[in-house]
Amino acid sequence: MGLNILLIDDDEIERLKFARVLQKNNYPHNIIEAINGEEALDVLAQKEKLPDLIFLDLNMPKMNGLEFLKELKADATLQYLPVVILSTSNNHQDLKEAYRIGASGYIVKPLKYEDYVHKIKCLIEYWTVNELVKG
Amino acid sequence: MSNEDVDILKRALQREKAARKQAENILEDKSLELYQITQELKETNEKLEYLVGKKESELQGVFDNLVDAYVLMDISGNVLEMNHAANQLFGYDISKDTLNVMTLIYKEDYQYAMNSFQELITKGSFSNYQARVYTKNNGIRTVHINASIIKDKNKNPIGAQGIVRDITEELLQKQIFEEQKKQLSVIVENSSLGIALTQGGKIIQTNKAFQNLLGYSEKELVKKEVKDISLKDEYVASEDNMKRVNDGEIDSFTVNKRYLKKDGNTLWAKTNVGAVRNHNGSVKYQVALIEDITEQLEFEKQREKLVTDLEKTNQELKDYAHIVSHDLKSPLRSIYALVNWIKEDYSTVFDKSGLDHLSMIEKTLEKMEVLINDILSYSSVSNKDNLKSKDIDLNRLINEIKSIVLIPEHIVVSSKKQLPIIYGDEIRIQQLFQNLIGNAVIYMDKEKGEIEIDHKDKKTHHLFSIKDNGIGIKKEYHEKIFKMFESVGDNENSSGIGLAIVKKIVDLYEGKIWLESTPDIGTTFYFTLKK
Repeated sequence: MGLNILLIDDDEIERLKFARVLQKNNYPHNIIEAINGEEALDVLAQKEKLPDLIFLDLNMPKMNGLEFLKELKADATLQYLPVVILSTSNNHQDLKEAYRIGASGYIVKPLKYEDYVHKIKCLIEYWTVNELVKG
Repeated sequence: MSNEDVDILKRALQREKAARKQAENILEDKSLELYQITQELKETNEKLEYLVGKKESELQGVFDNLVDAYVLMDISGNVLEMNHAANQLFGYDISKDTLNVMTLIYKEDYQYAMNSFQELITKGSFSNYQARVYTKNNGIRTVHINASIIKDKNKNPIGAQGIVRDITEELLQKQIFEEQKKQLSVIVENSSLGIALTQGGKIIQTNKAFQNLLGYSEKELVKKEVKDISLKDEYVASEDNMKRVNDGEIDSFTVNKRYLKKDGNTLWAKTNVGAVRNHNGSVKYQVALIEDITEQLEFEKQREKLVTDLEKTNQELKDYAHIVSHDLKSPLRSIYALVNWIKEDYSTVFDKSGLDHLSMIEKTLEKMEVLINDILSYSSVSNKDNLKSKDIDLNRLINEIKSIVLIPEHIVVSSKKQLPIIYGDEIRIQQLFQNLIGNAVIYMDKEKGEIEIDHKDKKTHHLFSIKDNGIGIKKEYHEKIFKMFESVGDNENSSGIGLAIVKKIVDLYEGKIWLESTPDIGTTFYFTLKK
């Protein structure tokens, strides 16, 4: 059963990387892309098509990842959507803040592509076996 | 003789008798009167004698008990009488010595003495004579004399008397007092502090500096009250302190307050008010010392602004390092992924050299990643926000480092003795040891590499040493290696930041770092960490 994944990242190549991992591994999941927090909120405004899972970059123009997360967790319905942070920052403050606001996971993007593929695969497999609150 | 004649005679005799009787009576009366008068005179005389005697003894008492010296002399200056005090003062006993006052006059005061003596003769007295005299035992003394002439009943002068007071000590005290007063006023006048003497809020006296600070003259100031030169609300606040001084609760207080200058501007001054008290403790005067702190306040304001700016700049720098590092990391990841995809998708198209070049791009990206991470950790070493101090067992930490650093088989990392447990932030302490051990590993050129860690307890600090038998470092680089980007080796895994981070961590723990090295033989790094 395919998951609906909302990927929020301003970097096109990051989005390509993610899509490639799914495609190369023949995952049946569907990706909705948003290039920043604002756009993601627009996507989420259509409540009938809510994603199962959100992957969120932290460092983005306009509304950054943590700001987006705050808004999401303040929404009565959207707060149940699991959000996994994908960031190049291993800064402890960011990590703590993300979990404080209510992130479900925090992945530091590694330099090496093969390491990245490994991490994303683990992540996808983990969430596939999770029970989720359907939007 | 006729009867007539007899009768006449008889009558005459009778008249004579009667007259005689009358005279006898008168005589008797007069004698009685005389007796009575004589008696009265005698009594009066006795009374007078008694009174004179009384007065004389009174006078003798006064004379003897007079604190001041009393001298009686004849018109030529021969001393006739001296009281006890005079004996004491001059040291002569006129019952044994003869003494003329002329011999007592101090040489230099002779003319003055003569003038005064002339005044005594002509006017009958002088007062407030002040001059020096020789004494027998007390050296030269300064005396004050009031004198008057004594005359006989024909108004001829027959002698003179004088009351003499020794004022030597008094003069000396006065002189000392005057000198001190002068010294004090020199200090007060030349003080750069403004000084004002006030009484119950009224200005009594001010010094030059005070006048200059406020732009008023002394004359103008003594007409003013403290409140006239103060701002109203601040004056009220000072009043509170003033009350505590008056109540004896405190003796002085210091406030920073503003003064109104003559030109209408205000002056910020540090003001210290002290009380001058009467014997009973009540406040007689207040002494106010004021110091112009306008400039000081200006400096303080500037300093505060600088500190704020600096804090802001520091924060910006921290954020900057943070953001830049992450912004730089993202493209690295992208390039890495793209290279990887090219390799994956077009591996059949590339020859060996093409694939080698792709690998070299990856190596370069990895190097850049190390560099960025080092910059990031360098900038966060002194960030106290993420400082988490705890006890660290260095033996355990070194073992962990050994597994992280990947020690080749030909190199042995050992501790000379059991290492201590130290208190600090584990991430930083690990970074410190890891970088030093890592360097020793990277720059090892011997077949059997030995890296040895040692520790000495130095009371306030821990002293550590990390000794290797590697390539060694030339003397001229010993300072340079601790600076950013000053890698002196040619190792491609070295960013040139490792030792800069080490230095920064040692600085953070208020320690020092130095090294001893012989090229080709080895290097020993020493560093201290404050306990």
